[in-house]
Amino acid sequence: MSSNKILNLCKLLNNVSLRKNEPIVSCIFSRNISTTTRKFDLMEFFDDQKNWGANDVKVGRAWKKDEMRLKSNVDLHKLWYVLLKERNMLLTMEQEANEQVQLFPSPERLDKVEESMENLEAVIRERNKAYHELETGETGERPGKHVTSRLGLRYYYKMSEHVVPKHMNTKWQQKYQFYKYDRDVEAFLLKYNEKLYLTKKRKQRRDFNHVIGLLKRFPGMDMEALKQQYPDVDIEKAKHSRKCRGHFEP
Amino acid sequence: MSTRWYPIYQKGGPQLRVFLPNFWMKLIKPPHEQPPNIVQFACSMEMTKYDIKNYLEKIYNVDVVHVRTRIGLGKTKRDPGLGYVVKADDTKYAYVTLPKDQEFKFPDLFPKVSTVEEDYEKTIKQTKDGFKDYLDKNKERPGMPGWFTV
Amino acid sequence: MRISNIFLSRIGKWSKRYSNLPDRYIQRAMEQVYWRNPKGIQYKPNAVVQKKKFNFGVQRPWSGQFKNENGPRDVPAKVFLEPIKEWSFFRGDRVEILVGKDKGKQGFVKQIFEERNWVIVEGLNCELKQIGQSKQRQFDGVWIQEEQPLLVTNEIALVDPSDLTSTSIEWRFTEEGERVRVSTRTGRIIPMPASNDETVDYKSKAVYKEQPKDTTSDAVTEVTYEPKLCTFEMDIMDKMGIKEDRIPLKTYWY
Repeated sequence: MSSNKILNLCKLLNNVSLRKNEPIVSCIFSRNISTTTRKFDLMEFFDDQKNWGANDVKVGRAWKKDEMRLKSNVDLHKLWYVLLKERNMLLTMEQEANEQVQLFPSPERLDKVEESMENLEAVIRERNKAYHELETGETGERPGKHVTSRLGLRYYYKMSEHVVPKHMNTKWQQKYQFYKYDRDVEAFLLKYNEKLYLTKKRKQRRDFNHVIGLLKRFPGMDMEALKQQYPDVDIEKAKHSRKCRGHFEP
Repeated sequence: MSTRWYPIYQKGGPQLRVFLPNFWMKLIKPPHEQPPNIVQFACSMEMTKYDIKNYLEKIYNVDVVHVRTRIGLGKTKRDPGLGYVVKADDTKYAYVTLPKDQEFKFPDLFPKVSTVEEDYEKTIKQTKDGFKDYLDKNKERPGMPGWFTV
Repeated sequence: MRISNIFLSRIGKWSKRYSNLPDRYIQRAMEQVYWRNPKGIQYKPNAVVQKKKFNFGVQRPWSGQFKNENGPRDVPAKVFLEPIKEWSFFRGDRVEILVGKDKGKQGFVKQIFEERNWVIVEGLNCELKQIGQSKQRQFDGVWIQEEQPLLVTNEIALVDPSDLTSTSIEWRFTEEGERVRVSTRTGRIIPMPASNDETVDYKSKAVYKEQPKDTTSDAVTEVTYEPKLCTFEMDIMDKMGIKEDRIPLKTYWY
């Protein structure tokens, strides 16, 4: 890749314009003067001076995964640092605005940067996973499995890396103990499942009563929409409920 | 492997490297007066002094002579309604010494501090102007809705 | 489903479209956390106690006014919301008002509140309201006309563009496989209004003004990726000239 391209990508910032295939002269100029100073630069922790005390700062949207998939690893690596610096800058500005009880303009910028960073990591993870699957037939991700805990509850156990094998690691064995038959645990599970069941029942009843309320208020309602929103409720039964009937003679 | 899960280090093994650091650092205005070449940061809890030095040198190209860190206790406050105690997270602060000949002064990010009076006058003026515009626009056609001109 | 998703699922797609804010921000601006477990080993890690029930009114969920309306531990009144299969009223639609003092008048949809089945029609269905009055400053305030929300289910109807009278609509497919709203009376297509794509940042995507920190679309669409049999880390080490020939020692995963 030519050095010019790399330079351009160094200047890539977190936000993506929506315009398709239309180079903008004024924009290129402003980008050229923005981030090329490579000296003692603690001022990179601060926003552009013209945004100090501004009411809002307009920016584009975050990078999407599909756009990142087009970029080489080197470009993504550079983009990460651009995003990292941008996030530090926004955090600094936010902190100072909070200290001085002033308005921090456009706080959604932080979310846009963080979303871009998440997408970037996801894309890299995708690539690494593809490599591992090709080479080893496994994902290369941190392994894990569904296990039953001492309390008889199922959960996903994320494995970790150890220097010694399992049978030699007494500390691990003490810390992670999985399910084995226990009468007290069985008794606990019975009660726990009852609790879950009652919660579910309560939700069903709540929904049923809500549907009755809806039927009472909007008799000409779209029944299909109602069915779609409350698939577990027996609507015919709700219609015939005593609470659903109005106060009038038939 | 996720980019956030690092292998364990064993002596003789390959050097562990971080390619995508997700540490954050924010430059803060020092609450107490500091020598001109000391800059104060708040940073990720996980950062060590060496991390901070490398972070600033490699990413920001800042010359760092020395780093001191401390962990500030998060403030506690009582919930106004129910009275339970809520504690903010602890923060790591870093005091970074620059070379003797360099100095850094925290810039004044909010130069104009408007008083409450000024703010009030401004809003009132804005409202009055807006209302006058509205009246002027509808002078010729009283009682007509806004969409009529569309 | 995570609790955060529950909030966001309540706020309709069309309600937040005009604001052009990321969902992540909306959620962050909206949430009111009463208690969060400190980091570290806890009986229940990551336990968060926060406000779950909100009163959705005419204030946007990310605004300060919304926060004022939803004080901590306020219990909002129960709202019965008529289920709607599909949202059919968009910003800029010409609609006729079926109730109130402006009954029979036509106007354009200005704001959408999907979480209440409401829309605000520009300049219609107004109430007079006095604002800014202050005894201390001897100012009587000004009277403004404030538009009131209207229910989409029975208080407004879409207007057929062919004869400019109100009609009920149906969603159908065109020959090209596009979903459109069709007037049931005349069978004419009611086109999507142009201002449906409008946001606070731009009128339409084509006229978006690029900001200094935006990446140009050329730079975004440029393909620099070349498939290679290596991981990200291996590629970067290769490009940076980092040599590493030490072999990782045996470890055990369990």
